[in-house]
Amino acid sequence: MRLSRFRNRETPLRDPSLHPAGETKPGSKRTATPCALERGAPATARRLSLAFGVLIGFLFSFAVNAEPADALFRYATNAFNAGDYPQAAAAFAQAAALHPASGTLQNLGNAEWQSGRPGPAIVAWEQALWLDPLNQFARNNLRFARRTAQIESPDLNWSEVVSSWLPANWWAWVAGASLWIAVGLSTVPGMLRWRKAAWQQALAAFGLAIFLLSIPAHIGIDSRAKLGFILFKDVPLRLTATAEAQFITRLAAGEPVRIERAKGGYLLVRASHTSGWIRANEIKLICSLPGSIPSVDPEARTAVNL
Amino acid sequence: MAIVRHPKPEGRMPNRPKGGLSRCVFGFCVDVRMQFRQFGLRISAFFRPSAFGFRILLLLIVPNLCWSQSPPASQDPMMQLMLSQPKIDVDSAVVPVSSFDPPIIRPGEEATFRVTLNALETAIDWPDKIPAPETLSCRAGARGQILSMSGPLLIPRTTFNYRVKAAATGEFTIPEFNVAVNGKSIRIPATQLQVATAVPPGIAPAQQLLFELPTNGLFVGQTIRARVVLPGSPGGMIQSLGQVQINGRGFVVDQSSAHARIEAIPIGSSRRTVSAFVYEMLLTPIATGKMSLFAQGYAVGNRVIGGIIISGPAGPGGGQPQYTLVDSDPVILEVRPLPRGSELPGFTGAVGVYSVDPPELSTNVVTVGEPVKLKVKVRGEGNLARLVPPQPPQMSNWQIFADATENTPSQIIQAQGFVTFGYTLIPLTDKDKATPAIPFSAFSPDHGAYDDLTIPSIPITITPGNVTAADLRTVLQAAQLDAELEKDPVLSGLAVAPGLAGGMVPVQQRGWFPLLHVVPASALIGLWVWDRRRRFMETHPELVLRRRALRALRRERRCLERAARARDSAAFAAGAVKAMQLAVAPYYPAEPKALVGADVLMMLSDQEQAGSPGRTVREIFSRTDAARFAAGSTSTNELLRLKPEVEGVLDRLETRLCG
Repeated sequence: MRLSRFRNRETPLRDPSLHPAGETKPGSKRTATPCALERGAPATARRLSLAFGVLIGFLFSFAVNAEPADALFRYATNAFNAGDYPQAAAAFAQAAALHPASGTLQNLGNAEWQSGRPGPAIVAWEQALWLDPLNQFARNNLRFARRTAQIESPDLNWSEVVSSWLPANWWAWVAGASLWIAVGLSTVPGMLRWRKAAWQQALAAFGLAIFLLSIPAHIGIDSRAKLGFILFKDVPLRLTATAEAQFITRLAAGEPVRIERAKGGYLLVRASHTSGWIRANEIKLICSLPGSIPSVDPEARTAVNL
Repeated sequence: MAIVRHPKPEGRMPNRPKGGLSRCVFGFCVDVRMQFRQFGLRISAFFRPSAFGFRILLLLIVPNLCWSQSPPASQDPMMQLMLSQPKIDVDSAVVPVSSFDPPIIRPGEEATFRVTLNALETAIDWPDKIPAPETLSCRAGARGQILSMSGPLLIPRTTFNYRVKAAATGEFTIPEFNVAVNGKSIRIPATQLQVATAVPPGIAPAQQLLFELPTNGLFVGQTIRARVVLPGSPGGMIQSLGQVQINGRGFVVDQSSAHARIEAIPIGSSRRTVSAFVYEMLLTPIATGKMSLFAQGYAVGNRVIGGIIISGPAGPGGGQPQYTLVDSDPVILEVRPLPRGSELPGFTGAVGVYSVDPPELSTNVVTVGEPVKLKVKVRGEGNLARLVPPQPPQMSNWQIFADATENTPSQIIQAQGFVTFGYTLIPLTDKDKATPAIPFSAFSPDHGAYDDLTIPSIPITITPGNVTAADLRTVLQAAQLDAELEKDPVLSGLAVAPGLAGGMVPVQQRGWFPLLHVVPASALIGLWVWDRRRRFMETHPELVLRRRALRALRRERRCLERAARARDSAAFAAGAVKAMQLAVAPYYPAEPKALVGADVLMMLSDQEQAGSPGRTVREIFSRTDAARFAAGSTSTNELLRLKPEVEGVLDRLETRLCG
């Protein structure tokens, strides 16, 4: 089975036959529906149906992406078991790009590690933990890789540690839900003239407490989103954002850095002991979309060509 | 207040110091002044010394003298070590030297094309392929770097070897080509090789290594002794080897067990005995399949690195070191995997022919909870220093710990021919009469099977002690728990399912997430507005009545319109009356049906009452009442003509309601 089979596969979202409800295919006859909305407020109805369609489409695309991703996952697992680690890594990367999932990223890390590329492997395992902090295998693999390659772990502050207790996206939902529960339960009963109940106030207080407690986690998520990992071996850390800049030091593959700002094709990063500029394609952020990473860093390839 | 200053004394002598040191310095200055006076100069022409000035001068000079005599600050030992190393010369111009060794060969013979540059290997961007003529077969050989002392500097020498061979006679030239060294292009000069049927006398054959293995077929993990031989020259001169290494993949070389010797060995087809430098090391394949290996090393003349054994009358020759990189022909090694499924308990990867001596106990009488040492010697061939002791069994009556690996150098272990495994045994009960057997096995390549080398049990007398077995078990379980926690991490297997999915970009950083919160916020705001309006309406019930009346009026007017279109005068009249009653009902505390034409007229101005609207109201009500209550039939057909007037009255009433 070749990978092109998956690459050429059209996602049903792009299929014109799968337009959201309420819209008809071009050329088809519109059936006259005695809809009260059409008579009363057609513009509002169309907007509502469009928003509903977008929501359904988003959920549907998430579901339909999972199907080819599952096939890629199985294909990559077979390639890994057959010892074809580069092929397995490429397929896992495609599967993760289609449908980012913790297990897929864990396997991507394993395949990259077996291919002798510790940088992408560490990024994949970190991303697996970003999606699912309870993935003990990915955590264990990171410990193994860092011990083997003598690489430091990222130095997390307390808010970042708190943010790593739950999947990164969960904090947003938890905070949103708790905020509106607190606001709703403290205002809606009065407006609806319900009798005040202790459980409503307790739930409102609980929601407010959860919301307040989740704020540090949000700060941690924001700062962790700027955490990146060096992809290649001996990446030079430059004094200035130019190709001819003096090298301050060289960073090992998988070493964590924090992005301070960007300038052109370079990023100002803060490593464990020093700061400097690196090329933007020599690093991968923890929250960037998974995908294939070239096996040779661009600078080295240029040197070979020269 | 006046400030009185002390007059400055003109003569300096009154300030003559009384101290010893000051007196000496002062005396010296006086002598200098006297000498200057002899030339007609006064020292005061330049400066005027005073006791205060001298004190300042002393304060400045003495600390400096003290500091200069203090010992230098201690430096970092590592930094001192680094600073004490000779500098590596990377600044000199790179001079490439290329040659064929030998320059003349016969057809089918091999020569070595050797290029040496005085640069670090990492600084050289050597091409994958050199521009050799097509008729000259060229195979990449060894490459290496050595540092040689030249005065105070270490000169790097990097050499690239190629094996070349030609089938036909002629002159073959490897043209000049460029390589990048430290980013600069260096031209490798053209080199000529002559291939002739007869080689003139005096041309020495190419200097090559011999790479000897006891067998070419072995099992993975089986250790063999590899020999790298550098034969001496026909003149009897022997060169020693440096930086010997074996190139290839899928094996490990134990350099710590390496040793060198000079011995006489038969060489070539004629089996002529020559003295040779022999370098031996242990080689262990760690991968299966066919693998190609070759040896390389630097012929360093009489520089003997490390110890050397000389058997026979030969010895290293004199002369300056040459630092010539030499290599051997490749050797094919076929490595088979160990048989699966028939492993015996206690197999730790030992491959070779081994035997276990009877174990020894530190004592054969022990109390419960008291540790006793067990030592056992394992003899055999192979890499004894790398032998892994078997893990002790987990038993309820005994707690057994494997001792740390002994620190004896591997060369000594290899020389003594055995390795000692140590265990600490702690009896947890006094019921046992012998130590437990510790399973151990090794794979024997000779007969292709696993040998049982289990460490046998030894009779021992265990006496009851003060420590209870329960206490011991508690302590040992805690120790075992700690050991499990400190277990080294290993790479996990693959996940069987994709697992928890989600977006990589945090939700709170997406544009739609703030917009999503507009939905509950809008709902709450809407609910609040609705509540406010409801409360307002509760405090103003007349507004509610008027709004209801307005809605009912509009409804009735639509009915009125329909009746007019249908030319239904009865319905028109009834509708007009009802509409007027509804329109004025909010101003009376009465049901709309109970209202009469006079009530409607009250809502019109005096002028309107007297005018057309008043007449229309009266006529509508009177005709309708007549139609409803009169004994005879009364027609309301002509009321339809009053439609514009009725519309006008209703407009006025509606305007009043809206106001």
